[in-house]
Amino acid sequence: MNGGQRAWRGAESAGFPVVLLISWFLGGLLLAFILLPLIQLLVAQTAGTMLRVAAEADVRNAVVLSVGAAFLTALVAGAFGIPLAYLLARGVFRGKGMVAAIVDIPLTVPHTVAGIALLMVFGRYGVIGEPLENYLGLRFWGTLAGIVVAMLFVSVPYTVNAARIAFEGIDPRIEMVARTLGMGPLQAVARVTLPLAWRGIATGLTLTFARSISEFGAVVILVYYPMTAPVKIYDMFLNYGLQDASAAAALLLLVSLALFILFRHLAYGRWPIAGNGR
Amino acid sequence: MTALAVAGLSLRLGAFTLGDLSFTLAANEILVVLGPNGAGKSVMLETIAGFHRPARGRILIGGRDVTALPPEQRRVGFLVQNFGLFSHLTVAQNVALAAKARRGVEDGHRVPNVTQLLERFGIAHLTDASPLVLSPGEKQRTALARAEASHPDLFLLDEPFSALDTKARDELRTELGRFLREVHASALFVTHDYIDVAALGDRVAVMHDGKIIQLGTIAEVFRRPSNRIAADILGIENLLNGQVETGNGRLLCIVVAGATFHAEIADGTALTGEVCVAVRAEDVRLARSGHGRAATLDNRLAGKVIALQPLGALTKVTLDCGFRLVASLMTRDVAELGLFPGAAAVAVIPVADVHVLAP
Repeated sequence: MNGGQRAWRGAESAGFPVVLLISWFLGGLLLAFILLPLIQLLVAQTAGTMLRVAAEADVRNAVVLSVGAAFLTALVAGAFGIPLAYLLARGVFRGKGMVAAIVDIPLTVPHTVAGIALLMVFGRYGVIGEPLENYLGLRFWGTLAGIVVAMLFVSVPYTVNAARIAFEGIDPRIEMVARTLGMGPLQAVARVTLPLAWRGIATGLTLTFARSISEFGAVVILVYYPMTAPVKIYDMFLNYGLQDASAAAALLLLVSLALFILFRHLAYGRWPIAGNGR
Repeated sequence: MTALAVAGLSLRLGAFTLGDLSFTLAANEILVVLGPNGAGKSVMLETIAGFHRPARGRILIGGRDVTALPPEQRRVGFLVQNFGLFSHLTVAQNVALAAKARRGVEDGHRVPNVTQLLERFGIAHLTDASPLVLSPGEKQRTALARAEASHPDLFLLDEPFSALDTKARDELRTELGRFLREVHASALFVTHDYIDVAALGDRVAVMHDGKIIQLGTIAEVFRRPSNRIAADILGIENLLNGQVETGNGRLLCIVVAGATFHAEIADGTALTGEVCVAVRAEDVRLARSGHGRAATLDNRLAGKVIALQPLGALTKVTLDCGFRLVASLMTRDVAELGLFPGAAAVAVIPVADVHVLAP
């Protein structure tokens, strides 16, 4: 465990001026590339259009639905993803590499493909969707549950991978020490491992949340109604043109940015936690 | 009373085997387990703490058979490298968590006063500090206070300061030894550094390849390693293969690469054939030529200096006497003798300092 050492932070002070200069130049271009479209989107708005669009119940409902569904998705991702991450970090079993690869698959599948695949499982006539609706009344098409399923599929790898890295950064012997001090296995994980891994886990959950809010492809195929914000924006773009769509887009951007900053602050704002750096 | 009894303990862990370990630790005794990396010291400690299920054998801590108990019920204080403090908690919270956790498993557990513990270990001023900002010494004291909070029957220490520099290691070793004596702790201390042995231990067990190859008091084991491997682990620099030539009276003649060594015959060295000659570097004296006055019983070996390695007050001198011989001299003596690489020198080794071991 190296988190305990007050280590010399080499990367911050070392480096050749020429290399740093080139890095600044290229990196600066990249930052501009990220920021420029977002800034343009915001400055292009007129207060009137923004207010008018924000006053539309449809738009507000879509934003609230997106945020709520993404939040639920992060909860589900945490409940199932954190245990899997622990298993991948600590478990010794055959086929571990395979399991890790399976977790990464959603990152490589085009999201429309994910949507269609999910439709065949959770849709009206899907292998899980149909029996669940018939016997439990749980429906995935046209419902919040469907939105969460679509969001979860494309965003859960972030939680699993970040939590796994966080767990791997914790010396297993710290857990052993906790056990010898009188804690049972679950208690040791709850009192020691999870708090130590908290920052990494929170990073993963934040990414899952952010990815869920931004998801369009899988959601639009599995669940068109009720509309999440990205679907609503697409709908407005097709039906009302760029001006209204961009106002709604700016609104969604502001909401997601505010939440993203809030979550990052919650994850990092505490005093230093060992196990994984920022 | 016996603090720890290990009987016939065997374990397979992947490709690694712990072979039939048996030993006991008396109350208030500190047993140092010395062995190179990969000897199985840590696995043995973790097995005693309850993290690996042995294939065979029993473990008794303070007379209780704990072989089937989980770690939280074994009442051991486990100190690991870098001390394993919980860095999401403050110093006081580390200690308090241990006090509370122990109460959770045992009804009769007397919950210690955290403040008193912090004062006793001289870390009261660090109550609200994060373990991340502590010095190694403060970390060790926090780890000891935390272990004490759970009232262990036995301390298991796994190279807690092996990652530190020499100076910090010396300080922490002294402090740890003082603490263990003060609380009359029974402890098993695992290390690959033979300096830890004499400083901390009452007895020493030499471990190699999953087995304890020698166990005894420190004086005994250091004076008479059981074989070449043990001698190597105990840090004896010169281990030379030789052939017993004659054993006349009280002296044994051993030929090593053409040179003849004389050694005293001790109990149990009724030896013939292949042997290992063990000589500590500090027992080798050097002279510039063979004309000095010498006791008749000294071994005198002519050679050539091939390397000088200054280590502060001491200098390690490597000689070529037909075989490599390392001598450890005071640096000022090296200067006085005018030794330099290529210079001729005579190694003088008293007969009593030549140890004959099984190969």
